[in-house]
Amino acid sequence: MPLPFTNDIRTLRFLAGEMTQGDLGDRVGVTRQTIAAIEQGKYSPSLEVAFRIARVFDKPLEAVFQWGDGSN
Amino acid sequence: MTFREKTHWVALVVMAVAFGWYFFQLHTALPHGPGNIAASGGLLTAVTIGIILAMSLIIGIIAAVNPRDAHAAADERERSIHWRGTHYAYYPMVLGIWLCIGLIFAGYSTPTLLNTLLAVVVFAEMVRIGVQLYLYRRDA
Repeated sequence: MPLPFTNDIRTLRFLAGEMTQGDLGDRVGVTRQTIAAIEQGKYSPSLEVAFRIARVFDKPLEAVFQWGDGSN
Repeated sequence: MTFREKTHWVALVVMAVAFGWYFFQLHTALPHGPGNIAASGGLLTAVTIGIILAMSLIIGIIAAVNPRDAHAAADERERSIHWRGTHYAYYPMVLGIWLCIGLIFAGYSTPTLLNTLLAVVVFAEMVRIGVQLYLYRRDA
């Protein structure tokens, strides 16, 4: 089932000097595969990991993750 | 593919081969009757040692090839996969235990109970590993 929210992690990685999924994973404390799954909308991260990702890019949470279509 | 996913593939293949061989021998080569329990025990000991050695060797080689992955702690997604696999394996385990309870009341022999219990444990373990591999692949 698709997640009800999207994310801009791929774009933010590119803008952060083409940071790799592995680099981001190392800084967040998860594996490269987990970052890939989050990016593709296949895995819903915990609030802690979501905040850690946002902190890496120095962005607020809603700049990284966006609720999909306004529904519940 | 993470180190943990690789170890799951190794466990699945090694267990399928080892216990496939065990149950094949059980029905073709082992004596039937009272002597079966000792023979089953001997064969099971050999299979268990074989599984431990094979898995240690193969996983040791995989870890040596990429030690960084091997020493990394499991992250939240991997822990979640582990929990869900164990959750789904619980159901065949419970059904198998009730089957064995039924066999006890039906008066089946000790060797039959031993090997039914073993089959239940092996099946539940295969379900656990299979579900975990499915979840690893689904998210990849």
